[in-house]
Amino acid sequence: MTDARENTGVPVLDVRDLSVRFRMRGGRDIAAVTDARFSVAPGECLALVGESGCGKSVLASALLGLLPANATTTGSAVLGGDTDLLTADERTLARTVRGRRIGLVPQSPAAHLTPVRTVRSQLEESLRELTGVRGSVLREAAVVAAARASFPDGHLDRYPHELSGGLAQRAATALALIGDAPLLLADEPTTGLDRDLVERTVDELRRHTDEGRALLIITHDLAAAERIADRVAVMYAGRIVEIAGAPRFFGAPGPRHPYAKGLLDALPERDFAPIPGMPPELGALPDGCAFAARCAYADARCTGERPAFAADLACHHALTGRTHPLKEAADA
Amino acid sequence: MAETTLALPGRTTRRVRIVTSATIVVTVALAVLVVPPLAQLDQQAVDLANKLDPPSWAHPFGTDDVGRDLLLRCVYGLRVSLLVGLVAALTATVIGTAIGALAGAFGGWTDRVVMRVVDALSSVPHLLLGIFIVAMFRPGVWPVIVSVALTHWLSTARIVRSEVLSLRSRPFIDAAVSGGASRTRVIVRHLLPGVLPQAGLAAVLMVPHAMWHESALSFLGLGLPAHQASLGNLVQSARGSLLAGDWWPTLFPGLFLIIPTLALAGLAGAWRDRINPRRKSELML
Amino acid sequence: MLELTRITAGYDRRDPVVRDVSLHVAAGEAVGLLGPSGCGKSTLARVAALLHRPDAGTMTLDGTVIRGWRHRAPREQRTAVGVVFQQPRLSADPRLSLRELIAQPLRSTGRRREVPGRVAELAQLVGLSEELLERRPHAVSDGQLQRACLARALVLEPRLLICDEMTAMLDASTTAALVAVVERYRSESGAALLAVGHDRVLLERWCDRTVRWGERNAGPAERERVAAG
Repeated sequence: MTDARENTGVPVLDVRDLSVRFRMRGGRDIAAVTDARFSVAPGECLALVGESGCGKSVLASALLGLLPANATTTGSAVLGGDTDLLTADERTLARTVRGRRIGLVPQSPAAHLTPVRTVRSQLEESLRELTGVRGSVLREAAVVAAARASFPDGHLDRYPHELSGGLAQRAATALALIGDAPLLLADEPTTGLDRDLVERTVDELRRHTDEGRALLIITHDLAAAERIADRVAVMYAGRIVEIAGAPRFFGAPGPRHPYAKGLLDALPERDFAPIPGMPPELGALPDGCAFAARCAYADARCTGERPAFAADLACHHALTGRTHPLKEAADA
Repeated sequence: MAETTLALPGRTTRRVRIVTSATIVVTVALAVLVVPPLAQLDQQAVDLANKLDPPSWAHPFGTDDVGRDLLLRCVYGLRVSLLVGLVAALTATVIGTAIGALAGAFGGWTDRVVMRVVDALSSVPHLLLGIFIVAMFRPGVWPVIVSVALTHWLSTARIVRSEVLSLRSRPFIDAAVSGGASRTRVIVRHLLPGVLPQAGLAAVLMVPHAMWHESALSFLGLGLPAHQASLGNLVQSARGSLLAGDWWPTLFPGLFLIIPTLALAGLAGAWRDRINPRRKSELML
Repeated sequence: MLELTRITAGYDRRDPVVRDVSLHVAAGEAVGLLGPSGCGKSTLARVAALLHRPDAGTMTLDGTVIRGWRHRAPREQRTAVGVVFQQPRLSADPRLSLRELIAQPLRSTGRRREVPGRVAELAQLVGLSEELLERRPHAVSDGQLQRACLARALVLEPRLLICDEMTAMLDASTTAALVAVVERYRSESGAALLAVGHDRVLLERWCDRTVRWGERNAGPAERERVAAG
């Protein structure tokens, strides 16, 4: 899979060893993201999953250049093979990246829309800014833009508070699509939505991906990730611990990292059994594997030495061999 | 290896403002607390030979129309004005917080009646109401304090009431009710502590306000007795000499009123930034 | 245990969010109330927790007809029902440490002397360390704070626990952990549960039976579904 993608050319987003540190009062450092490495290709959806507080939202903010002043980033995040999002200045990010090359699908669409203006006027403003459409064509273009996100024309003259949660989400998606950005970034787009609405939202995002965009979706909702993603990246305590194809992650043979397996097993449709303990503090990470304290497989090596991220996995005890010995034998 | 750090705009300006304000407030506090007992000088000492002297080494602020040293008069005046301001602001804050908290916590009819009374009182100009109150007593420090306190609690009551109303609908109040907390406990343990920073801010902002009010009453001859040095009295008694071109007896008491006022407002501003930070958290996890 | 009969409730009398809804929870039973967001199920949960006075309808708790809500309800009635809300950030007094948060109901009911023992016991049950207990809400994660909020709801040993979207903001593992805590408490105490939520899979796994809330302003057929359960 990785090979096939590299053959098609440049990934839309290529993140290499991205780290984000927060300098807190009193000189304390918080390692919010450490050595994140992944890429997203056109027409592909990568889901970044993990518990709240594991650093996934910080990662998204870093990609958009929206970190607060006390944050420091290292590494690179190259967009379209030419722009490093981490070194680009605010002017470049504002004028050529946000909206034009990265479309943001926000977490709470109702808060993302301007409350005092109708959906139509917000769509028209974005069209004017991003595509330069003017005059009589503008009205038509707004209707087309709304239709792309399945937002009904009849509701264009409504204000955000008059929309249901689902329609507000579509309005926000329509805005994100206007610049025809090759990369869509969706930060927890389904938090607090009902299951039906989650599925509709996710299916629509999938449709936009199938049109050839790359989609990076950040979520703690594993069911949503399963429905939409081609590949899954699991984040724990600021590090990506596993990247896997979605079918083999959610189906057979299942995740290789014990944390990822624990997260899946906690789902009510599976074992509904929690992972014991709680994640470590990002300000006081252990020297070894951050998951060792909660891991059934951990041994002296795990607590002493941090596993390297190699072959899309950071673990001393890849699970596949143990839990699916037959499958492994068959593959060999 | 790329590093991105953004400077927080205005941080230096804010720091300079806080340091300057704090320095002034501390200096003023020391001056009015320490100078009178230590100086052993008589602020009432009349020296008719040197009346209305311009500023000099012997009298840095000059002398007044009966030859009293103006620097000393200003320090004593500030002492009285500050005392009146502090006590009045504190009293007004206590009254306003209590009434606002009751109105907000009980809601319904209590709230409606109390807030209509507040509206009615607010519609009368403060100074007029204040004059009416001092006129009922003999001139002195306490009538002025009562007058200022009774006219200044209204805005605090409004602020506290709206804060309490917004806190009251939070789930943590529901949780307290469900946990068996009595009405009094909800107000005292959960609502009041939540509004204290706002009430404290209102109190600090009110001190200069109260000082000006006292000065205005004294200037009108309704505040402190004329022989007692207060900033208002000093400006009032110097009015005549201003027409004769003698500027110092009005300028220095005026500055003594304005500068501490601005410094207190500066400190209050810093406090406000602290309780309503523009950025909610340094870390966006 | 809990009997809600033809309850109408809301924040505007002309347009109540809950219209004529009935719901029954037997002693020791776990009932899931399933419905889309904004349908009024949280309002119904607040009525059942004695926190919101309904405009019409009757409620009985343990066979006693409820005559007053909030402070008009006797303390014994209020504390018989424990409640956990959706957003832990809003349900915790920001000035209190997690330890004080959990201890509040004991202090409110004059059981101050039990504080150290009960808090330690509950902290262990929900998995909060001594170090975390000393922190204030802004210094812990949503999941840790919700653990403390659950401990607070259990500290007075309620006979009925109401969980209003308790896990909507949480990840799968924390969700499973909190549900396990609730179930352990219920198996030891025999308490009943009303779990309100929009996740069908979760509620069906968790509860003895689930009741589906109809679309808002639904016809009588929908209403019967809620009533019949």
